[in-house]
Amino acid sequence: MTAAAAYLSRRRRAQGAGLDRVLPYLLLAPTLLLVLAVVVYPIVYGVRQSFLNFRFGHAVGSVGLDNYRQLFHDPAFGQSLLVTLKFVVLAVTIETVLGLGLALLIAAELPLTRLARLVLVVPMIVTPIVVGIVFRLIYASDVGLLTTLRKDIFGGGPVFILDKGWSAFLGLVALDVWEWTPLMFLILLAGLQSLPVEPFEAARVDGAGGWRIFLDQTLPMLRSVLAVAIALRTIDAFTTFDQVFVLTKGGPGTSTQLISMYGYNTSFKFDEFGYGTAMLLTVALVVLALAALSVRLIRREAAERDVGWAPVHWWSSS
Amino acid sequence: MIVLVPIAFMIATSFKSNAEITQELHLWPHTWTGSNYSGLFRDSFFAQYFRNSFVVCGASVLVSLVCGSLAAYSLARFKLMLRLEKRLGFAILTVRILPPVVIVVPLFLVALKFHLLNSWLGLILVYSAFNVSFVVWMMESFFREIPLDLEEASMVDGSSRMTAFRRIVLPLAAPGLVATAIFAVIVTYNEFLVALVLTSSPGSQTVPVGTSTLITRIDIDWGAMSAAGTLAAVPIIIFALIVQRHLVRGLTLGAVK
Repeated sequence: MTAAAAYLSRRRRAQGAGLDRVLPYLLLAPTLLLVLAVVVYPIVYGVRQSFLNFRFGHAVGSVGLDNYRQLFHDPAFGQSLLVTLKFVVLAVTIETVLGLGLALLIAAELPLTRLARLVLVVPMIVTPIVVGIVFRLIYASDVGLLTTLRKDIFGGGPVFILDKGWSAFLGLVALDVWEWTPLMFLILLAGLQSLPVEPFEAARVDGAGGWRIFLDQTLPMLRSVLAVAIALRTIDAFTTFDQVFVLTKGGPGTSTQLISMYGYNTSFKFDEFGYGTAMLLTVALVVLALAALSVRLIRREAAERDVGWAPVHWWSSS
Repeated sequence: MIVLVPIAFMIATSFKSNAEITQELHLWPHTWTGSNYSGLFRDSFFAQYFRNSFVVCGASVLVSLVCGSLAAYSLARFKLMLRLEKRLGFAILTVRILPPVVIVVPLFLVALKFHLLNSWLGLILVYSAFNVSFVVWMMESFFREIPLDLEEASMVDGSSRMTAFRRIVLPLAAPGLVATAIFAVIVTYNEFLVALVLTSSPGSQTVPVGTSTLITRIDIDWGAMSAAGTLAAVPIIIFALIVQRHLVRGLTLGAVK
């Protein structure tokens, strides 16, 4: 067969009965193009930029791995990494404990009304920027909610939150707890309600107390749901940005300068795009590892319980 | 209560006069005033921010729904080479979980290179790509739940696969599409960082970015700040109320059978 004939027959196959063979790829094409153009290409481009030195926002030459080496010698980077870790551990722990506690309390009582559910969803869907504003209004030492309450109830003076490093940091943690505990609660409540009843009754008949039942029965059965929720919250908390941007801009000093804030400042305030990219790509590797881990957890969880976990990622992705 | 009080305080503050905010420290306004709002619309580009947000949000959600459903259908129904149907699903979900902050600097540089800064198009492209990964992930599981027989019956009757997809599969997956669209709208409307980096003029800034520049500028004008915050939150709250039935269902969709 000549090449032309082969081409023709290939075309015919592609157009006729063979359309079904290319169809799946045609359907995928727009999505893949979008993701390649907007996610993959910039990442590749960014990796190249991270080997460059920028001055006043313009690339002025290649510096090899210097931008990455600089990470180890930059005390501000270490500092913001530490702040981020403290923030993530503290916030996610509190949210998990509170969420689990509330879920256990409610699960024993009546099911949630629709109104209650709607109210609980509010912190999650309200624009994060607005959450930042809300908490600035709460913490403001001259006009804030806390100052007002203290004056009205105790007749005391103003409350200072955002002026000192440690209290500003705790203030940020409190914001995160307010915003995300409802999510933890709703996921864990759903997890609790889907557990079988029999083991609990058996344990109760055996004379086990509430605490024992919780440790021996509830916690192990809830383990995978907990793991998914914690993993996703961790990723999310790790890259918190919007709320910090509005609440403190990282200050006072560097007390609330999370890694995302520092990366942003490096890139856009000081125009060191090379170093900023290097830093954020390093963070990306950590997050990606966490993400891969949680995707695996989600898949296993979904397979175990035969349900999709779509809402979980949705809520975690704002 | 704990959930609502902070927000209620912001809304209350937005209706107080400046004197009442700074000197009298009431929890609730004694005299209601709309001056903070009228000032906001007079002195800033809030109307324009809303327009930008609605256009960008609407267009990108639409694009991602169309592209994403097609791709999801492909992944759900066909066996692809190299077991792509499994691997792509995994890769796409990873894209979804990856927070924007890690690629925002390269995105900025690329947008600069292709002159997509300060434009609706740039934002629409980025948000479409972010959303599409989510749409694929959601819709794939919805499509898988629809029994194959229905499509096959329709195809035996002579309709093509795409006709069967449009007439049979899409209507059955409609609840999934609605839930997906709702989530995509909320996430896109709320997104801040990418919009902050890709836009710097009122002509293309979205509501969250506009609000943040506003509060940086007015800093201690608490009345205006809380009015801006309230306004920015209004569309999303209204949206949530309209779709509340789907929202609650969407939330429990995966978690409660």
